[in-house]
Amino acid sequence: MREPAPTETPAPARDPLTTAMRASHVLAGVLVVGALAFAAFGAAVGDTFYLRLATEALIFAGLALAVDILLGYTGLLSLGQALYFGLGAYVSALTLMAVPSFWAAFGAALLAGTVVGLVGGVIANRVRGVYFALITFGMAQVVGKVVYNTRALGASDGLIGVPVVDIGFGPWSFSSASPAGLFLFVLGYVMVLYAVAAYILDTPLGRLLIAMRANEGRVAFLGYRPVTARLIAYVIAAVVASLSGALYPMLRGFVSPELLFFTTSGNAVITVITGGAGTLVGALYGSLLLTVIKSYVGSWTEHHLIVIGLLFMAVVIFLPRGLIGLVRPKIERMLSRERKP
Amino acid sequence: MTSTLRLLSALLAGTAAIAATPALAADPIKIGVVTPLSGTYAGIGQQVRWGLELAATEVNAAGGIMGRPVELSFEDEEANPSVAVQKAEKLFQVNKVDFLTGTVNSGSTLAVGQLAERAGKLIATTVSFADSITADKCSPNVFRVNARAGQQSAALASWLAKEKPQAKVFYLGPDYEMGRSTVAAFRSNVDRVGGSSLGEVFAPLDSKDYTQYFGQIRATRPQVLYTSVAGTDTVRLFTQLQEFGLLGNITVLGASGTVTAQNIGAIGKAADGFVTGVGYSAEIATPENKRFVEAFKAAAKTDPDLYGADSYGLIFAYKAAVEKAGSTDTDKVREALRGLTWKTPQGEKTLRAGDHQAEQTMYVVRVAGGQFKIVSEIPGPDAIGADTCTKF
Repeated sequence: MREPAPTETPAPARDPLTTAMRASHVLAGVLVVGALAFAAFGAAVGDTFYLRLATEALIFAGLALAVDILLGYTGLLSLGQALYFGLGAYVSALTLMAVPSFWAAFGAALLAGTVVGLVGGVIANRVRGVYFALITFGMAQVVGKVVYNTRALGASDGLIGVPVVDIGFGPWSFSSASPAGLFLFVLGYVMVLYAVAAYILDTPLGRLLIAMRANEGRVAFLGYRPVTARLIAYVIAAVVASLSGALYPMLRGFVSPELLFFTTSGNAVITVITGGAGTLVGALYGSLLLTVIKSYVGSWTEHHLIVIGLLFMAVVIFLPRGLIGLVRPKIERMLSRERKP
Repeated sequence: MTSTLRLLSALLAGTAAIAATPALAADPIKIGVVTPLSGTYAGIGQQVRWGLELAATEVNAAGGIMGRPVELSFEDEEANPSVAVQKAEKLFQVNKVDFLTGTVNSGSTLAVGQLAERAGKLIATTVSFADSITADKCSPNVFRVNARAGQQSAALASWLAKEKPQAKVFYLGPDYEMGRSTVAAFRSNVDRVGGSSLGEVFAPLDSKDYTQYFGQIRATRPQVLYTSVAGTDTVRLFTQLQEFGLLGNITVLGASGTVTAQNIGAIGKAADGFVTGVGYSAEIATPENKRFVEAFKAAAKTDPDLYGADSYGLIFAYKAAVEKAGSTDTDKVREALRGLTWKTPQGEKTLRAGDHQAEQTMYVVRVAGGQFKIVSEIPGPDAIGADTCTKF
């Protein structure tokens, strides 16, 4: 008697969104390996500048990550994410100047990001589309100008004199003045932000956000409250930006109101679109790439903004899915092939 | 592109000088310049660049510093402290510059100064005028060769005390932190020289209509109106003052940025009689300055302003200090710069050891027929003010 051919159990089809996220994780892994090699090389030759430049790129990658959560997943264009980045930076700087402890600064930035994110979210989420972009832009400008004119916050000069701190985990600790140490720490920190964001976006809530990007009207008919989901996404993005900003004064020892200005917000949007919106990892690669380009081209000609502008236009026209869009589909195909017997 | 060419030609001039003087060691003294070459402050950065390049060319033609040629490396700071710090770190760590200058906005100077302090290097600003840089936020690694806001304000006040003793002054400032602090600084100077203050108003930046304040100004009958508005705000304020006939019996004083080459044309006749205090004017009638203005015009095709002149002078201060120290070592050069007196187109300057602020003759200038004319000179010690730096 012949056994009936085993019915082809349809492989629990992994949905394309999960595959896409896994492909991002592969690229994030590549980034970490590359960064570790870079750190080892940098430490071996006793480099300071490039390690600290890469650290700054990673810090701004955190801000770009926040923009991607809103733009790439929820479909909200925030032109004022620097508000939360600057908030985290100022709160962290003020905390460090009072209590030189990393964890105190971290906690303060987390708290400030959550509270201000909730308030800002309630205001900004009253509107959608271009009005949302304008409101976020306006809020950041208002806060930026207030800081710029507040003498207690250093006004236009910013705050200098943020002390060098020892960042400690149990028995291990290192000084924020050590280029390689701080680079490795910031790498780990930003990868944790990335992992948390990726985890949240892979939950049902994340799916809801992606659905809202496609058609917010229908989400309401499915029985969800889009307003709540949008507010949650906004607060998560605010916290991610604030926690990234908290690292800035540890690296540079100062904060200035320019961190809150549109140049910072605008750069983050350019970073996300160049890297690839809706990929999370694109924000990280985009930030590293743009920081390096700016540093090199800026030393070579004062017309560096034209170069960045042309690159941005080229990406928008020829690579609508960003630079990550060049490689990620290939990895996705490899991943889905692996699952087939 | 043209500036790249200019830099190249400056470097070539430097190399030519080396070739001409076989005694020169090949190893150049590197000076980093972090200055805004793009954006709002590009005009100031351009003057800084012209001034430094002219000085470097002249120093190199005369045999360099201790026989070593001066080499300038430029980086664009975009008038943003975050960018300035990153570029300064590159110059310190990668280009290994011996000295750094060029920062324009005070935030950049403070942030780069802190970086220099932590990296054990020296910087000097030739532009930033916030008092804090050489007062409460002073740093042992930061020097300032230009006049700070307090010096401009003190110079103007001593002119006022001489010309209009016990003057009754009204203040009109732009409503933001810097506007308020300039008014407060001048007000304290007026009180010091025995004048009386009648009142102050602050108008929002970019105000279209200043006439709403004129009733208040007229009611208090001031002899002098002090203002620190700038740019196109000055144009509107002055033309409206003229239309309302207030300029007839009121002398208008202002900050050095209130009436500049950029807006004086648009203000026209209303600018006549405006008085301000500055650290440099191309009108200074000394042979050194005439020679400098001619050389500057030949190189840059335009007149030097205070930024160009102060930047030009800095190279000679650094040259004198390195030659006195016999080395480019940070501690030795710092010691040599402290208390250094050297010659500039503006006359002799002295770097005060206590706070690293340059003491220099200040000039009071008045607009007449669309031109600034020097009306008074205030000796350096009268304008510099107290040393309030406690850090070193």
